[in-house]
Amino acid sequence: MLRIEGLKSGYGKSEVLHGVSMSINAGQVVTIIGANGAGKSTLVNTLSKLLPIMSGRIEFDGRDITALSASDVVDLGIIQVPEGRKLFGPLTVDENLTLGSYRVRHAPKAELTDRRKFVLDLFPRLAERATQRAATLSGGEQQMVALGRALMAGPRLLLLDELTLGLAPIVIDEMFETLERLKREGLTMLLVEQRADAALALADHAYVMATGDVVAEGPAPDLRNDERVRKAYLGESDITSD
Amino acid sequence: MQTFGILILSGLTNGSVYALVGLSLAMTYGASRVINFAQGEFVMLGALSTVLFVTTFSLPMVVGIPMVLIVCATVGFLVERLAYRPLVRRGSQPLTIMIGTLACASIMTGTALLIWGPNQLFVPNAFSLEGVTIAGITSTPQQLAIIATFAFLMALIWFMLYRTTFGLTIRAVGIDPAVATLMGIRAETIIAFSFVFSAIVGGLTGGLVGPLLGGHVSMGIMLTIKGFMAVILGGMGSPFAAAAGGIAIGLLEATVAFYGNSFYAEPIIFGLILMMLIIRPTGLLGEWEANRK
Repeated sequence: MLRIEGLKSGYGKSEVLHGVSMSINAGQVVTIIGANGAGKSTLVNTLSKLLPIMSGRIEFDGRDITALSASDVVDLGIIQVPEGRKLFGPLTVDENLTLGSYRVRHAPKAELTDRRKFVLDLFPRLAERATQRAATLSGGEQQMVALGRALMAGPRLLLLDELTLGLAPIVIDEMFETLERLKREGLTMLLVEQRADAALALADHAYVMATGDVVAEGPAPDLRNDERVRKAYLGESDITSD
Repeated sequence: MQTFGILILSGLTNGSVYALVGLSLAMTYGASRVINFAQGEFVMLGALSTVLFVTTFSLPMVVGIPMVLIVCATVGFLVERLAYRPLVRRGSQPLTIMIGTLACASIMTGTALLIWGPNQLFVPNAFSLEGVTIAGITSTPQQLAIIATFAFLMALIWFMLYRTTFGLTIRAVGIDPAVATLMGIRAETIIAFSFVFSAIVGGLTGGLVGPLLGGHVSMGIMLTIKGFMAVILGGMGSPFAAAAGGIAIGLLEATVAFYGNSFYAEPIIFGLILMMLIIRPTGLLGEWEANRK
Protein backbone atom coordinates (compact mmCIF):
# COMPACT_ATOMS: atom_id res chain seq x y z
CA MET A 1 0.00 0.00 0.00
CA LEU A 2 2.70 2.47 1.02
CA ARG A 3 6.28 2.32 -0.25
CA ILE A 4 8.99 4.70 0.83
CA GLU A 5 12.34 4.69 -0.96
CA GLY A 6 15.47 6.56 0.08
CA LEU A 7 13.51 9.30 1.77
CA LYS A 8 15.52 12.32 2.88
CA SER A 9 13.88 15.18 4.70
CA GLY A 10 14.29 17.55 7.60
CA TYR A 11 13.76 21.05 8.88
CA GLY A 12 15.07 23.92 6.79
CA LYS A 13 18.52 22.94 5.58
CA SER A 14 19.26 20.36 8.27
CA GLU A 15 18.65 16.81 7.13
CA VAL A 16 17.04 14.55 9.73
CA LEU A 17 16.10 11.50 7.65
CA HIS A 18 19.06 10.16 5.71
CA GLY A 19 17.41 7.93 3.16
CA VAL A 20 14.69 5.90 4.85
CA SER A 21 13.05 3.00 3.02
CA MET A 22 10.07 1.01 4.28
CA SER A 23 6.78 -0.42 3.13
CA ILE A 24 3.36 -1.08 4.58
CA ASN A 25 0.90 -3.58 3.16
CA ALA A 26 -2.86 -3.10 3.25
CA GLY A 27 -4.37 -4.25 6.53
CA GLN A 28 -0.99 -4.35 8.21
CA VAL A 29 -0.03 -2.64 11.46
CA VAL A 30 3.54 -1.42 11.30
CA THR A 31 5.35 0.18 14.19
CA ILE A 32 8.45 2.32 14.28
CA ILE A 33 10.43 2.23 17.47
CA GLY A 34 13.51 4.19 18.37
CA ALA A 35 14.96 6.63 20.84
CA ASN A 36 14.05 10.31 20.99
CA GLY A 37 15.54 12.12 18.03
CA ALA A 38 15.64 9.01 15.85
CA GLY A 39 13.47 10.77 13.26
CA LYS A 40 10.21 8.89 13.86
CA SER A 41 8.02 11.98 14.07
CA THR A 42 9.94 13.58 11.21
CA LEU A 43 9.06 10.57 9.09
CA VAL A 44 5.37 10.79 9.98
CA ASN A 45 5.28 14.52 9.27
CA THR A 46 7.10 13.98 5.97
CA LEU A 47 4.50 11.38 4.99
CA SER A 48 1.79 13.94 5.82
CA LYS A 49 3.75 16.47 3.71
CA LEU A 50 4.13 18.92 6.53
CA LEU A 51 7.89 18.78 5.91
CA PRO A 52 9.59 19.15 2.53
CA ILE A 53 11.10 16.09 0.86
CA MET A 54 14.75 16.59 -0.10
CA SER A 55 15.04 13.41 -2.11
CA GLY A 56 13.50 9.98 -2.37
CA ARG A 57 10.10 8.73 -3.33
CA ILE A 58 6.77 7.91 -1.70
CA GLU A 59 4.28 5.60 -3.41
CA PHE A 60 0.71 5.02 -2.29
CA ASP A 61 -1.34 2.33 -4.03
CA GLY A 62 1.32 2.22 -6.74
CA ARG A 63 0.97 5.95 -7.38
CA ASP A 64 3.85 8.39 -6.91
CA ILE A 65 2.69 10.87 -4.27
CA THR A 66 6.07 12.50 -3.60
CA ALA A 67 5.04 15.85 -5.06
CA LEU A 68 1.54 16.07 -3.58
CA SER A 69 0.55 18.70 -0.99
CA ALA A 70 -0.50 18.02 2.60
CA SER A 71 -4.19 18.33 1.81
CA ASP A 72 -3.85 16.14 -1.32
CA VAL A 73 -2.38 13.39 0.84
CA VAL A 74 -5.36 13.64 3.19
CA ASP A 75 -7.68 13.39 0.19
CA LEU A 76 -6.06 10.04 -0.61
CA GLY A 77 -6.88 8.81 2.90
CA ILE A 78 -3.53 9.12 4.65
CA ILE A 79 -4.66 10.56 7.96
CA GLN A 80 -2.43 11.58 10.84
CA VAL A 81 -3.14 11.68 14.55
CA PRO A 82 -0.49 14.24 15.46
CA GLU A 83 1.77 14.13 18.46
CA GLY A 84 0.38 16.23 21.30
CA ARG A 85 -3.16 15.72 19.97
CA LYS A 86 -3.40 19.19 18.38
CA LEU A 87 -7.12 19.59 18.82
CA PHE A 88 -8.99 22.74 17.89
CA GLY A 89 -9.16 23.68 21.57
CA PRO A 90 -11.72 26.50 21.43
CA LEU A 91 -14.10 24.40 19.33
CA THR A 92 -16.46 21.77 20.72
CA VAL A 93 -15.86 18.02 20.58
CA ASP A 94 -18.61 17.79 18.00
CA GLU A 95 -17.03 20.48 15.81
CA ASN A 96 -13.66 18.76 16.06
CA LEU A 97 -15.21 15.53 14.82
CA THR A 98 -16.97 17.37 12.00
CA LEU A 99 -13.65 18.88 10.93
CA GLY A 100 -12.19 15.38 10.94
CA SER A 101 -14.79 14.33 8.37
CA TYR A 102 -13.85 17.22 6.05
CA ARG A 103 -12.26 14.74 3.60
CA VAL A 104 -15.56 12.91 3.17
CA ARG A 105 -17.83 15.99 3.44
CA HIS A 106 -19.47 15.22 0.10
CA ALA A 107 -20.26 11.64 1.09
CA PRO A 108 -23.91 10.67 1.63
CA LYS A 109 -25.30 11.90 4.95
CA ALA A 110 -26.03 8.34 6.07
CA GLU A 111 -22.36 7.43 5.70
CA LEU A 112 -21.31 10.39 7.84
CA THR A 113 -23.88 9.48 10.48
CA ASP A 114 -22.61 5.89 10.51
CA ARG A 115 -19.05 7.06 10.89
CA ARG A 116 -19.94 9.32 13.81
CA LYS A 117 -21.88 6.48 15.39
CA PHE A 118 -18.84 4.22 15.02
CA VAL A 119 -16.57 6.78 16.71
CA LEU A 120 -19.03 7.47 19.52
CA ASP A 121 -19.46 3.75 20.00
CA LEU A 122 -15.68 3.42 20.25
CA PHE A 123 -15.51 6.30 22.73
CA PRO A 124 -18.91 6.65 24.45
CA ARG A 125 -17.51 9.39 26.66
CA LEU A 126 -17.26 11.72 23.65
CA ALA A 127 -21.04 11.63 23.25
CA GLU A 128 -21.39 13.01 26.77
CA ARG A 129 -18.83 15.70 26.03
CA ALA A 130 -20.15 16.60 22.55
CA THR A 131 -20.88 20.27 23.24
CA GLN A 132 -17.85 20.90 25.47
CA ARG A 133 -14.86 22.80 24.21
CA ALA A 134 -12.06 20.35 23.42
CA ALA A 135 -9.54 22.30 25.50
CA THR A 136 -11.55 21.68 28.68
CA LEU A 137 -11.30 17.87 28.44
CA SER A 138 -8.84 15.64 30.30
CA GLY A 139 -5.75 14.38 28.50
CA GLY A 140 -7.24 10.95 27.89
CA GLU A 141 -10.49 12.39 26.57
CA GLN A 142 -8.57 14.76 24.32
CA GLN A 143 -6.68 11.81 22.87
CA MET A 144 -10.02 10.11 22.19
CA VAL A 145 -11.12 13.21 20.28
CA ALA A 146 -7.85 13.21 18.32
CA LEU A 147 -8.22 9.55 17.36
CA GLY A 148 -11.95 9.93 16.78
CA ARG A 149 -11.37 12.97 14.58
CA ALA A 150 -8.93 11.00 12.42
CA LEU A 151 -11.35 8.08 12.15
CA MET A 152 -14.09 10.47 10.99
CA ALA A 153 -12.03 10.98 7.82
CA GLY A 154 -12.42 7.32 6.91
CA PRO A 155 -8.65 6.72 6.84
CA ARG A 156 -7.10 4.19 4.49
CA LEU A 157 -3.77 4.55 6.25
CA LEU A 158 -3.72 5.90 9.80
CA LEU A 159 -0.50 7.51 11.03
CA LEU A 160 -0.32 7.55 14.82
CA ASP A 161 2.38 9.74 16.29
CA GLU A 162 3.01 9.09 20.00
CA LEU A 163 -0.61 8.37 20.79
CA THR A 164 -0.01 7.54 24.45
CA LEU A 165 2.49 10.25 25.31
CA GLY A 166 1.69 11.83 28.68
CA LEU A 167 -1.35 9.64 29.39
CA ALA A 168 -2.12 7.72 32.57
CA PRO A 169 -1.27 3.97 32.42
CA ILE A 170 -4.91 2.91 32.57
CA VAL A 171 -5.77 5.24 29.67
CA ILE A 172 -2.83 3.87 27.70
CA ASP A 173 -4.22 0.35 28.11
CA GLU A 174 -7.62 1.58 26.88
CA MET A 175 -5.99 3.21 23.86
CA PHE A 176 -4.19 0.00 22.92
CA GLU A 177 -7.44 -1.95 23.29
CA THR A 178 -9.02 0.48 20.86
CA LEU A 179 -6.13 0.06 18.42
CA GLU A 180 -6.50 -3.72 18.74
CA ARG A 181 -10.14 -3.35 17.76
CA LEU A 182 -9.28 -1.13 14.79
CA LYS A 183 -6.71 -3.69 13.68
CA ARG A 184 -9.37 -6.40 13.76
CA GLU A 185 -11.53 -4.16 11.58
CA GLY A 186 -8.73 -4.27 9.03
CA LEU A 187 -7.42 -0.70 9.36
CA THR A 188 -3.89 -0.16 8.08
CA MET A 189 -1.82 1.69 10.65
CA LEU A 190 1.66 3.12 11.08
CA LEU A 191 2.33 3.42 14.77
CA VAL A 192 5.09 5.58 16.21
CA GLU A 193 5.20 4.75 19.86
CA GLN A 194 7.47 5.17 22.83
CA ARG A 195 5.77 2.21 24.51
CA ALA A 196 7.73 -0.19 22.36
CA ASP A 197 6.55 -3.30 24.22
CA ALA A 198 2.87 -2.66 23.64
CA ALA A 199 3.50 -1.43 20.10
CA LEU A 200 5.43 -4.59 19.18
CA ALA A 201 2.70 -6.74 20.71
CA LEU A 202 0.12 -5.06 18.49
CA ALA A 203 2.11 -4.72 15.27
CA ASP A 204 2.69 -7.20 12.45
CA HIS A 205 5.92 -5.66 11.31
CA ALA A 206 8.38 -3.29 12.91
CA TYR A 207 11.20 -0.94 12.01
CA VAL A 208 13.86 0.27 14.40
CA MET A 209 15.15 3.77 13.70
CA ALA A 210 18.26 5.51 15.02
CA THR A 211 19.54 8.99 14.07
CA GLY A 212 17.53 9.22 10.88
CA ASP A 213 18.15 5.75 9.53
CA VAL A 214 16.38 2.40 9.68
CA VAL A 215 18.79 0.15 11.59
CA ALA A 216 16.69 -2.99 11.88
CA GLU A 217 13.41 -4.38 10.65
CA GLY A 218 11.42 -7.57 10.75
CA PRO A 219 8.23 -9.20 11.90
CA ALA A 220 7.19 -7.62 15.19
CA PRO A 221 7.37 -10.87 17.25
CA ASP A 222 10.96 -11.47 16.03
CA LEU A 223 12.07 -7.99 16.99
CA ARG A 224 10.35 -8.36 20.31
CA ASN A 225 12.56 -11.35 21.06
CA ASP A 226 15.67 -9.77 19.58
CA GLU A 227 18.33 -9.41 22.25
CA ARG A 228 19.60 -6.01 21.05
CA VAL A 229 16.11 -4.54 20.70
CA ARG A 230 15.18 -5.74 24.17
CA LYS A 231 18.26 -4.19 25.65
CA ALA A 232 17.93 -0.88 23.85
CA TYR A 233 14.20 -0.23 23.78
CA LEU A 234 12.41 -2.56 26.17
CA GLY A 235 13.08 -2.15 29.86
CA GLU A 236 12.83 -5.35 31.90
CA SER A 237 9.78 -4.10 33.78
CA ASP A 238 8.01 -3.36 30.50
CA ILE A 239 8.42 -6.93 29.29
CA THR A 240 7.23 -8.54 32.50
CA SER A 241 4.21 -6.27 32.73
CA ASP A 242 3.07 -7.32 29.30
CA MET B 1 -36.72 62.23 22.97
CA GLN B 2 -36.37 63.47 19.43
CA THR B 3 -32.85 64.65 20.12
CA PHE B 4 -32.09 61.23 21.48
CA GLY B 5 -33.44 59.61 18.33
CA ILE B 6 -31.32 61.82 16.08
CA LEU B 7 -28.27 61.05 18.17
CA ILE B 8 -28.89 57.33 17.96
CA LEU B 9 -29.45 57.49 14.21
CA SER B 10 -26.31 59.46 13.42
CA GLY B 11 -24.34 57.26 15.84
CA LEU B 12 -25.70 54.15 14.20
CA THR B 13 -24.80 55.39 10.73
CA ASN B 14 -21.18 56.17 11.56
CA GLY B 15 -21.07 53.17 13.86
CA SER B 16 -22.23 50.91 11.01
CA VAL B 17 -19.35 52.15 8.86
CA TYR B 18 -16.83 51.49 11.63
CA ALA B 19 -18.52 48.19 12.36
CA LEU B 20 -18.29 47.14 8.71
CA VAL B 21 -14.57 47.91 8.71
CA GLY B 22 -14.20 46.17 12.08
CA LEU B 23 -16.20 43.19 10.86
CA SER B 24 -13.97 42.74 7.83
CA LEU B 25 -10.80 43.26 9.88
CA ALA B 26 -11.99 40.59 12.30
CA MET B 27 -12.92 38.30 9.45
CA THR B 28 -9.39 38.43 8.01
CA TYR B 29 -7.91 38.21 11.49
CA GLY B 30 -10.09 35.22 12.26
CA ALA B 31 -8.54 33.18 9.45
CA SER B 32 -5.03 34.63 9.22
CA ARG B 33 -4.30 36.05 12.71
CA VAL B 34 -3.14 39.24 11.06
CA ILE B 35 -4.71 42.71 11.11
CA ASN B 36 -4.94 43.85 7.50
CA PHE B 37 -3.95 47.51 7.73
CA ALA B 38 -5.03 48.00 4.13
CA GLN B 39 -8.68 47.32 5.05
CA GLY B 40 -9.71 51.01 5.16
CA GLU B 41 -8.13 51.48 1.72
CA PHE B 42 -10.74 49.14 0.28
CA VAL B 43 -13.40 51.57 1.47
CA MET B 44 -11.49 54.35 -0.31
CA LEU B 45 -11.15 52.16 -3.40
CA GLY B 46 -14.87 51.39 -3.26
CA ALA B 47 -15.84 55.05 -3.03
CA LEU B 48 -13.44 56.23 -5.74
CA SER B 49 -14.07 53.43 -8.21
CA THR B 50 -17.78 54.21 -7.83
CA VAL B 51 -16.81 57.67 -9.11
CA LEU B 52 -14.86 56.03 -11.93
CA PHE B 53 -17.57 53.64 -13.11
CA VAL B 54 -20.71 55.65 -12.41
CA THR B 55 -19.58 59.26 -12.97
CA THR B 56 -16.64 58.97 -15.39
CA PHE B 57 -17.88 55.99 -17.44
CA SER B 58 -21.57 56.89 -16.89
CA LEU B 59 -22.51 53.30 -16.14
CA PRO B 60 -25.82 52.76 -14.36
CA MET B 61 -25.54 52.02 -10.63
CA VAL B 62 -26.60 48.37 -11.01
CA VAL B 63 -23.64 47.76 -13.32
CA GLY B 64 -21.24 50.16 -11.61
CA ILE B 65 -21.47 48.68 -8.11
CA PRO B 66 -20.74 45.09 -9.22
CA MET B 67 -17.74 46.46 -11.17
CA VAL B 68 -16.58 48.22 -7.99
CA LEU B 69 -16.84 44.96 -6.07
CA ILE B 70 -14.88 43.09 -8.74
CA VAL B 71 -12.10 45.69 -8.58
CA CYS B 72 -11.95 45.43 -4.79
CA ALA B 73 -12.02 41.62 -4.85
CA THR B 74 -9.13 41.62 -7.33
CA VAL B 75 -7.04 44.01 -5.26
CA GLY B 76 -7.86 42.01 -2.10
CA PHE B 77 -6.71 38.86 -3.87
CA LEU B 78 -3.46 40.61 -4.88
CA VAL B 79 -2.79 41.79 -1.31
CA GLU B 80 -3.05 38.19 -0.09
CA ARG B 81 -1.07 36.72 -2.97
CA LEU B 82 1.70 39.32 -3.20
CA ALA B 83 2.11 40.37 0.43
CA TYR B 84 0.54 37.96 2.92
CA ARG B 85 1.33 34.59 1.35
CA PRO B 86 5.00 35.17 0.42
CA LEU B 87 5.67 36.49 3.92
CA VAL B 88 3.93 33.56 5.61
CA ARG B 89 5.80 31.07 3.45
CA ARG B 90 9.06 32.65 4.55
CA GLY B 91 7.98 32.14 8.14
CA SER B 92 7.56 35.83 8.97
CA GLN B 93 6.18 36.93 12.32
CA PRO B 94 2.63 38.37 12.36
CA LEU B 95 4.07 41.81 13.09
CA THR B 96 6.19 41.69 9.92
CA ILE B 97 3.16 40.61 7.90
CA MET B 98 1.13 43.49 9.33
CA ILE B 99 3.84 45.90 8.21
CA GLY B 100 3.46 44.24 4.81
CA THR B 101 -0.26 45.08 4.77
CA LEU B 102 0.62 48.63 5.82
CA ALA B 103 2.91 48.78 2.77
CA CYS B 104 -0.04 47.64 0.65
CA ALA B 105 -2.16 50.43 2.15
CA SER B 106 0.47 52.96 1.20
CA ILE B 107 0.79 51.56 -2.34
CA MET B 108 -2.99 51.67 -2.74
CA THR B 109 -3.17 55.29 -1.57
CA GLY B 110 -0.32 56.26 -3.88
CA THR B 111 -1.87 54.56 -6.88
CA ALA B 112 -5.25 56.14 -6.12
CA LEU B 113 -3.58 59.54 -5.97
CA LEU B 114 -2.21 58.99 -9.49
CA ILE B 115 -5.63 57.97 -10.78
CA TRP B 116 -8.00 60.31 -8.94
CA GLY B 117 -5.79 63.18 -7.79
CA PRO B 118 -5.74 64.90 -4.40
CA ASN B 119 -9.17 66.57 -4.48
CA GLN B 120 -12.27 65.44 -2.69
CA LEU B 121 -14.67 63.94 -5.24
CA PHE B 122 -18.43 63.74 -5.22
CA VAL B 123 -19.43 60.09 -5.05
CA PRO B 124 -22.73 59.32 -6.80
CA ASN B 125 -25.39 57.94 -4.52
CA ALA B 126 -27.27 54.71 -5.10
CA PHE B 127 -30.09 55.74 -2.80
CA SER B 128 -31.77 59.08 -2.33
CA LEU B 129 -30.08 61.71 -0.19
CA GLU B 130 -33.34 63.52 0.42
CA GLY B 131 -34.60 63.48 3.96
CA VAL B 132 -37.49 61.30 4.95
CA THR B 133 -39.10 61.84 8.32
CA ILE B 134 -40.24 58.87 10.32
CA ALA B 135 -41.67 59.45 13.80
CA GLY B 136 -40.18 62.92 13.91
CA ILE B 137 -36.67 61.80 13.04
CA THR B 138 -35.27 62.81 9.69
CA SER B 139 -33.00 60.44 7.84
CA THR B 140 -32.00 59.65 4.27
CA PRO B 141 -32.45 56.37 2.40
CA GLN B 142 -28.66 56.35 1.79
CA GLN B 143 -28.08 56.51 5.56
CA LEU B 144 -30.60 53.77 6.20
CA ALA B 145 -29.03 51.65 3.47
CA ILE B 146 -25.71 51.73 5.34
CA ILE B 147 -27.33 50.54 8.56
CA ALA B 148 -29.31 47.88 6.69
CA THR B 149 -26.21 46.66 4.84
CA PHE B 150 -24.35 46.35 8.10
CA ALA B 151 -27.19 44.40 9.71
CA PHE B 152 -27.48 42.15 6.68
CA LEU B 153 -23.75 41.43 6.43
CA MET B 154 -23.49 40.72 10.13
CA ALA B 155 -26.29 38.17 9.87
CA LEU B 156 -24.71 36.69 6.76
CA ILE B 157 -21.30 36.35 8.40
CA TRP B 158 -22.82 34.89 11.53
CA PHE B 159 -24.65 32.30 9.47
CA MET B 160 -21.57 31.50 7.41
CA LEU B 161 -19.22 31.14 10.40
CA TYR B 162 -21.49 29.31 12.82
CA ARG B 163 -23.97 27.42 10.68
CA THR B 164 -21.96 26.09 7.75
CA THR B 165 -19.12 23.60 7.40
CA PHE B 166 -17.26 26.18 5.36
CA GLY B 167 -17.45 28.61 8.29
CA LEU B 168 -16.18 25.91 10.62
CA THR B 169 -13.14 25.44 8.38
CA ILE B 170 -12.48 29.21 8.51
CA ARG B 171 -12.51 29.09 12.31
CA ALA B 172 -10.31 25.99 12.30
CA VAL B 173 -7.74 27.65 10.03
CA GLY B 174 -7.68 30.63 12.40
CA ILE B 175 -6.98 28.40 15.37
CA ASP B 176 -4.24 26.35 13.73
CA PRO B 177 -3.61 26.36 9.96
CA ALA B 178 -1.18 23.40 10.09
CA VAL B 179 -3.65 21.15 11.90
CA ALA B 180 -6.44 22.34 9.59
CA THR B 181 -4.24 21.12 6.73
CA LEU B 182 -4.10 17.70 8.43
CA MET B 183 -7.90 17.60 8.04
CA GLY B 184 -7.45 18.13 4.30
CA ILE B 185 -8.49 21.80 4.50
CA ARG B 186 -6.68 24.06 2.01
CA ALA B 187 -5.69 26.65 4.61
CA GLU B 188 -4.14 29.05 2.11
CA THR B 189 -7.30 29.09 0.02
CA ILE B 190 -9.42 29.79 3.10
CA ILE B 191 -7.15 32.69 4.06
CA ALA B 192 -7.27 34.04 0.50
CA PHE B 193 -11.06 33.87 0.70
CA SER B 194 -11.06 35.90 3.92
CA PHE B 195 -8.96 38.63 2.26
CA VAL B 196 -11.16 38.75 -0.84
CA PHE B 197 -14.39 38.67 1.17
CA SER B 198 -13.19 41.51 3.40
CA ALA B 199 -12.12 43.51 0.36
CA ILE B 200 -15.62 43.14 -1.10
CA VAL B 201 -17.19 44.25 2.19
CA GLY B 202 -14.79 47.21 2.14
CA GLY B 203 -15.75 48.12 -1.42
CA LEU B 204 -19.45 47.95 -0.65
CA THR B 205 -18.93 50.12 2.43
CA GLY B 206 -17.06 52.64 0.27
CA GLY B 207 -19.80 52.78 -2.34
CA LEU B 208 -22.39 53.40 0.38
CA VAL B 209 -20.56 55.84 2.62
CA GLY B 210 -18.85 57.74 -0.21
CA PRO B 211 -21.86 60.00 -0.96
CA LEU B 212 -21.99 61.01 2.73
CA LEU B 213 -18.27 61.47 3.41
CA GLY B 214 -17.08 62.45 -0.05
CA GLY B 215 -14.41 60.43 -1.85
CA HIS B 216 -10.81 61.19 -1.00
CA VAL B 217 -7.59 59.20 -1.51
CA SER B 218 -6.60 59.56 2.13
CA MET B 219 -9.96 58.56 3.65
CA GLY B 220 -8.80 54.95 4.14
CA ILE B 221 -6.37 55.30 6.99
CA MET B 222 -8.90 57.06 9.25
CA LEU B 223 -11.33 54.19 8.66
CA THR B 224 -8.64 51.55 9.29
CA ILE B 225 -7.90 53.21 12.62
CA LYS B 226 -11.58 53.41 13.58
CA GLY B 227 -12.15 49.82 12.50
CA PHE B 228 -9.08 48.70 14.41
CA MET B 229 -10.36 50.58 17.47
CA ALA B 230 -13.67 48.76 17.04
CA VAL B 231 -11.86 45.41 16.97
CA ILE B 232 -9.80 46.25 20.06
CA LEU B 233 -12.79 47.67 21.94
CA GLY B 234 -15.07 44.75 21.11
CA GLY B 235 -12.47 42.04 21.50
CA MET B 236 -10.34 40.10 19.05
CA GLY B 237 -11.40 36.87 17.48
CA SER B 238 -15.09 37.40 16.88
CA PRO B 239 -16.46 39.55 14.06
CA PHE B 240 -19.50 40.33 16.21
CA ALA B 241 -17.43 41.71 19.03
CA ALA B 242 -15.76 43.98 16.47
CA ALA B 243 -19.14 45.00 15.10
CA ALA B 244 -20.39 45.82 18.61
CA GLY B 245 -17.21 47.83 19.16
CA GLY B 246 -17.86 49.79 15.95
CA ILE B 247 -21.43 50.63 16.92
CA ALA B 248 -20.28 51.66 20.40
CA ILE B 249 -17.67 54.01 18.93
CA GLY B 250 -20.24 55.50 16.55
CA LEU B 251 -22.75 56.16 19.33
CA LEU B 252 -20.08 57.54 21.64
CA GLU B 253 -18.81 59.85 18.93
CA ALA B 254 -22.29 61.17 18.20
CA THR B 255 -22.97 61.77 21.88
CA VAL B 256 -19.70 63.56 22.54
CA ALA B 257 -20.12 65.63 19.36
CA PHE B 258 -23.65 66.61 20.35
CA TYR B 259 -23.01 67.59 23.94
CA GLY B 260 -19.58 69.06 23.39
CA ASN B 261 -17.62 69.56 20.25
CA SER B 262 -16.81 67.04 17.55
CA PHE B 263 -13.28 68.35 17.91
CA TYR B 264 -13.01 66.65 21.31
CA ALA B 265 -14.77 63.49 20.25
CA GLU B 266 -11.71 61.56 19.20
CA PRO B 267 -9.44 62.18 22.20
CA ILE B 268 -12.34 61.47 24.55
CA ILE B 269 -13.15 58.20 22.78
CA PHE B 270 -9.53 57.12 22.80
CA GLY B 271 -9.39 57.95 26.51
CA LEU B 272 -12.51 55.92 27.22
CA ILE B 273 -11.21 52.95 25.23
CA LEU B 274 -7.93 53.12 27.11
CA MET B 275 -9.78 53.07 30.42
CA MET B 276 -11.96 50.20 29.28
CA LEU B 277 -8.95 48.17 28.18
CA ILE B 278 -7.27 48.68 31.55
CA ILE B 279 -10.36 47.16 33.18
CA ARG B 280 -10.97 44.49 30.52
CA PRO B 281 -7.75 43.83 28.59
CA THR B 282 -9.44 41.37 26.21
CA GLY B 283 -12.08 43.87 25.06
CA LEU B 284 -15.76 44.22 25.91
CA LEU B 285 -16.76 40.76 24.75
CA GLY B 286 -13.39 39.08 25.26
CA GLU B 287 -11.45 36.68 23.11
CA TRP B 288 -13.92 34.10 22.02
CA GLU B 289 -11.77 31.93 19.89
CA ALA B 290 -8.66 33.99 19.57
CA ASN B 291 -6.35 31.75 21.55
CA ARG B 292 -4.19 29.67 19.38
CA LYS B 293 -3.67 26.32 21.00
